[in-house]
Amino acid sequence: MDTLVAQYSRPMFEKENFSDSDQMELYTAPILSPRFAMPPVAQPSAWLRAATDDHANPNCPIKIAHGTTTLAFRFQGGIIVATDSRATAGNWIASQTVKKVIEINNCLLGTMAGGAADCQYWLAYLGMQCRLHELRHKRRISVAAASKILANLVYSYKGMGLSMGTMCAGVTPSEGPALYYIDSDGTRLAGNLFCVGSGQTFAYGVLDAEYKYDLSEEEALELGRRSILAATHRDAYSGGFINLYHVKEDGWVKHGFSDTNPIFWKTKLEKGEFSNVTSELV
Amino acid sequence: MPGFDFSNHTRNAALHARGVPLPKSTSTGTTIVGCIFDGGVVIAADTRATSGPIVADKNCEKLHYIAPQIWCAGAGTAADTEFTTALISSQLELHSLSTGRKPRVVTCMTMLKQHLFRYQGHIGAYLVVAGVDPTGVGLFTVHAHGSTDKLPYVTMGSGSLAAMSVFETQWKPSLTQEEAVKLASNAIQAGIFNDLGSGSNVDVAIITKDKTTLKRGYVRPNQRSEKQKSYIFARGTTAVLNEKIIRKEEISKYVSVHDLGSEETASGEKMDIDA
Amino acid sequence: MAAMFSQNPLMNGPNYSFNQTPTAAAAGNKEHAFYPYTDNGGSTLAIAGEDFTIIAGDTRSTSGYNINTRYQPKVFKIGGTTSSQDDANIILSVVGFAADGEALKERLDAIVKMYRYQHGKPMSVKACAQRLSTILYGKRFFPYYVHAILGGLDEEGKGAVYSYDPVGSYEREQCRAGGAAASLIMPFLDNQVNFKNQYMPGSGVGHDLQERERKPLPLVEVEALVKDAFDSAVERHIEVGDGLLMMMATKNGIEEKYIPLKRD
Repeated sequence: MDTLVAQYSRPMFEKENFSDSDQMELYTAPILSPRFAMPPVAQPSAWLRAATDDHANPNCPIKIAHGTTTLAFRFQGGIIVATDSRATAGNWIASQTVKKVIEINNCLLGTMAGGAADCQYWLAYLGMQCRLHELRHKRRISVAAASKILANLVYSYKGMGLSMGTMCAGVTPSEGPALYYIDSDGTRLAGNLFCVGSGQTFAYGVLDAEYKYDLSEEEALELGRRSILAATHRDAYSGGFINLYHVKEDGWVKHGFSDTNPIFWKTKLEKGEFSNVTSELV
Repeated sequence: MPGFDFSNHTRNAALHARGVPLPKSTSTGTTIVGCIFDGGVVIAADTRATSGPIVADKNCEKLHYIAPQIWCAGAGTAADTEFTTALISSQLELHSLSTGRKPRVVTCMTMLKQHLFRYQGHIGAYLVVAGVDPTGVGLFTVHAHGSTDKLPYVTMGSGSLAAMSVFETQWKPSLTQEEAVKLASNAIQAGIFNDLGSGSNVDVAIITKDKTTLKRGYVRPNQRSEKQKSYIFARGTTAVLNEKIIRKEEISKYVSVHDLGSEETASGEKMDIDA
Repeated sequence: MAAMFSQNPLMNGPNYSFNQTPTAAAAGNKEHAFYPYTDNGGSTLAIAGEDFTIIAGDTRSTSGYNINTRYQPKVFKIGGTTSSQDDANIILSVVGFAADGEALKERLDAIVKMYRYQHGKPMSVKACAQRLSTILYGKRFFPYYVHAILGGLDEEGKGAVYSYDPVGSYEREQCRAGGAAASLIMPFLDNQVNFKNQYMPGSGVGHDLQERERKPLPLVEVEALVKDAFDSAVERHIEVGDGLLMMMATKNGIEEKYIPLKRD
């Protein structure tokens, strides 16, 4: 009798706990290509914009942290990658110590501008894909291929509200030093020199004026540092520390995470630049 | 009577339509109450002024003088309650001088409502008017749009519901002065503790036919506890790039300077500061 | 491409003038009758020490000018084996929308518990931190309206604090304040924990003046800082008050402490 009843009835609390996908989350590793929860409205992207986009709606309830000035350029000795370290959420400085250079693997770097979470998450995802490529093909992925994985990925989310402006820098035997710009519109460009973020114009100003391909390693590092300094000086949404990297054939080398303030005064007092600023009293 | 200057109105409306936020004005949250008793009336208020979620003033005065025997508790926009009561106070004084009689509470209430009605609620003053005049005890509420009420016990402001719950459970006809003060103070404390817009201390004004007693800080249930640490910085902790000292002889070229006597110190109202 | 990155809030940044102001904003906001979020106020604070981590939060829950309750903890132990969670070693604090906070806490707790059962060892704080980031990012298009802070001891036994934005961008830090009074508490922490804007008196003149040396604070001092930070926040922020719940993670596990705050 009991078996007969069981056959035709369902347990009382069948759907009470987690859904199937929640159960999966508990028992297995997260799936490689993630599925995202969506708001139950007709236009999720418009809803998301109203809730999170500071520019479209200054009173938006959720303030997402944003990244700000980043640059990278190719020169004879490899690639220089430099960033500031400030994250802002609206007018609030959320952090002064953000790592905007993301180490995808030991010879590929990505930079972070736009939504901090978007860049962090998808560049980590790119790192996974690059490693899988290595395992499948028994050789390192080219920068062109890596950047294209990212470009195709963000393009598939086009219009849904992702916000990222990133550069992929790496040196491979097949390509030499290679630099790509990828943004959430789906743009993917190869080039010698890029600046991205709200402080990009200030960085371009310095970088374009002094840039040449034949820069020595020391000159190149100094130019990267000086360009970020210019951006942190004039752009309120950039600041904090200067994060400097040099990508060479045998991997990248980190050249410090240094406070802008002493660098600014050193630049001013020792080189006589920033003459518009003075600590003299009239 | 001087009027308002509306010359920026169109510009501000246009800016607002384009998403520029309006500047915040202080204090919309408050608890104010009034209660009559045998031989007089008591009004009370909390002392918190807010600007959005931030406490702008921890010990502000919300009981305003109108006439010696007429006082007013104000909720709503701080500047509006301040200026409206001052304006009516001055008009009432002139009225009293020209008639040669003591001002009446109804007169005050009528002037307030007519003034507020004219501005259709744009003057955000919500008031409790109380006083004793030759006709007896008066207690009214005046809303920003100009409507009024005459009741034996009243509450207003964001804490009005909390305060009213006390009156509705504990009020009884023919209270003594002590009972009424206690009741009003309890009502304010209900607001202080249960309404986020109200806080800090209880101010009370007791008006009888003989005198008015203002008890500032009648109850202080929210004293700050002592700090665990000392936050005094050693001299020289702050970086100074350059310094220039301007002596008194030099500055007197630009402004007039005069010496105070050795014992004499500059006097003024004492400021509230935390330890 | 440039426009997209000038996330300058209205009227403040460069590249902005009145006639560029998005007029669509007003229309965009009105379009939706779907408001799944409420702000329940409150504030949290976390400080990492040499061999401990403190995470604290007030216990008031508000909506508008009302107090929902005077005791709703915002700080939780994560991943213990019992219902009392007394053998947990990770602390999570969530502030913002309480329902999202509760959902997030339950989800992370379930995941950390399952990790222990499957791997036969507790999850490291570092791993948990990364996992929390993916959980938050999983709702990138329908975010959890929370500011989460995770803490515990790292593999070397040092205090670790990780802080998150609503969609999962995270960073390991020395200290972090979150929630309604973050803007009141964080500058205080910058000054008192990281000694920002403090210099050593007499160490030089003008540009040669040396910054005050950073050294980790002892537990008692950090506890005092937390209490003072919250007492001050209560004075000036209406949504903070009632009680302070502190959790201290040390090598001996998590100690809990409750201190009453002003209730006005």
